[in-house]
Amino acid sequence: MAQQKIDIDVTDADGYQVLRPEGDLDVYTVGSLRDAIGSVIESETPRVVVDLDNVPFMDSSGLGALMGGVRRLREAGGDLAIACTREQHLKLFTITGFGEGVSIAPTVEEAAKGFRSNN
Amino acid sequence: MRVPLRLKIVGGFGLMLVLMTLLGWVTLSLTTSARAVQEEVFDDAIPGLVAVEEVVRSYTAQSAAVRGALIGNPPVLLAQYRAEAEAARFWQERAQPLFTSPDERALLADLIAAGASFQKLVEEQVIPLSESGQRSRAFRVLGQDGTTLISEIERIGGVLRDAQRDVVVQSEIDVRSNTERTIFTLIVVLVGALGLAIFLTVYLPRRLVGNLLQLVDAARAIGRGDFDQKIEVSSSDEVGELATRMAEMQQGLKRLQQLALHDRELEIAASIQRNLLQRALPDVPAARLVPLQRQANLVGGDWYDVDVQDNALTVVVGDASGKGIAAALMATVALSALRGERGRGGAPKRVISSANRALLDATDPESFTTLIYTRLDLKTGEVRWMNMGHHPPFLLRAPSPDGSVRGYYLEGPRNRALGWFEDPGLAETVIHLAPGDRLVLFTDGFLEAKSAEGEVFGDHRLAQALIRLGSLDPELLGHELVADVERFAAGKLDDDLTMLVIEYRGAGAADNQADERSGEEKWRSRR
Repeated sequence: MAQQKIDIDVTDADGYQVLRPEGDLDVYTVGSLRDAIGSVIESETPRVVVDLDNVPFMDSSGLGALMGGVRRLREAGGDLAIACTREQHLKLFTITGFGEGVSIAPTVEEAAKGFRSNN
Repeated sequence: MRVPLRLKIVGGFGLMLVLMTLLGWVTLSLTTSARAVQEEVFDDAIPGLVAVEEVVRSYTAQSAAVRGALIGNPPVLLAQYRAEAEAARFWQERAQPLFTSPDERALLADLIAAGASFQKLVEEQVIPLSESGQRSRAFRVLGQDGTTLISEIERIGGVLRDAQRDVVVQSEIDVRSNTERTIFTLIVVLVGALGLAIFLTVYLPRRLVGNLLQLVDAARAIGRGDFDQKIEVSSSDEVGELATRMAEMQQGLKRLQQLALHDRELEIAASIQRNLLQRALPDVPAARLVPLQRQANLVGGDWYDVDVQDNALTVVVGDASGKGIAAALMATVALSALRGERGRGGAPKRVISSANRALLDATDPESFTTLIYTRLDLKTGEVRWMNMGHHPPFLLRAPSPDGSVRGYYLEGPRNRALGWFEDPGLAETVIHLAPGDRLVLFTDGFLEAKSAEGEVFGDHRLAQALIRLGSLDPELLGHELVADVERFAAGKLDDDLTMLVIEYRGAGAADNQADERSGEEKWRSRR
């Protein structure tokens, strides 16, 4: 499967990083998100909010990469939260059960409040 | 550096042309220089020699004539003296332009001066003395001063003659050395031309043909399917270029061969998956099952499973995350675990837990599988179903007598996808089907089909389409629905579409069908 790159904007916030992928998150582009999460894991504060407002479409591969991110970051003592207002993605989170145990909120700041405490 | 073949050929023949021109030039220069020497000798040196000898001879003759005149017959000998004096003047004038170097001109001037002094001596002293009868005195003057002057004339004439002879000798030496040099140049040019001719006619064609034969060999090997034959052509011309391209083509063909092998492996995988999925559907009179699958690739993550036990029809539709072989393998893991546990007599919840366990063990944390597990009691129409992170199924009620159709998504307690959590939840829901009701199970390929504008088909459009097509036979409904989705996606579907329609006919259908069958058997036996 030919891999394609999508732009992922990375910004520092208060004690965490914000990843803003721009474009569809599917089997072809999910490698970019996986790599971006990988870089966060290596940083001192492995906590990240993935903002999905600029992701018009996400399939099971995209969702899988987010779940993989949650697992990897939690193992590294951090966490992954989701900022999302898109109905389609929220539905996917609800249907699959992804949303249980992961902080999902309309804004980045609210999502960050839901980080699991690491102590 | 790349030297084109055309340049090599044109260059070779051009060089040959240059050598031939050089050959012509050398021959021409040889002739020209020989002619120059000839001119120098015949136009200057020899006439100069003759003129000087004539001048010297005429003065000697003058002296002899005057001496004779003093002895006897003076008028004849005096006339001879005067003729010789005229000859001396003539030859002196002829000699003037033939001597060009300053030394020679000085010597010629001395000769002429000595001649003039001799004639002055004869005219002013000897002849007057003789005419006045003083012959012996005239003799003495001529013998003393005249002889001295004649000797001087002969000496100067000798020097001039020797100089002219030197010119002739030097000219001969010049001609010889010039000829030798020219012959040497000629030989060098000839050897060069010969070498070049050998290169052009022997070496170059042999090298060219040798390289081409190598390419022919490689092409034959490719024809036999051997893509490993080395092509070793180091030429920098078009043949070398051809060899490079041919080596690239070899590599390309090898890759294609590997890809074909890969495709073959994919086909085998696809055939395994087909065999796993497409078991013969159970022949159940109380229900009709219509599966529909349209795969985007040879293998995929969509699957379904059907089983009948104890008057209960189990139908499962699953969807492994991702695409291609990875998804297909995950589907195989889920399906095997499911069938294995059911084969051991496990209840639905146990079957699902077992599949979850297998997926947790076999796949990475990113991978997950969603499914709908339904169990239809064929006698009562009761359906117990579990939703494991999947899109809810759609229920199409039996069409009313006026042909209108009602339908809706079956919302119920949700459980989580398999392969993510130790405990995905196992909440179950119960509904009842009336005869004619149809339960539609489907995968996300229908919902996620994208239009050219990036819009997804979505659950609303799917519900509308199902209700619109709800009065059709399930098989036709499936085809029409797929056609709808394909139209929406403008023919570009890159996810699998899987749908299974369970039409409940009711327990009574069993008896009707049994009658139909016995009728069919009777018809067959009559033929």
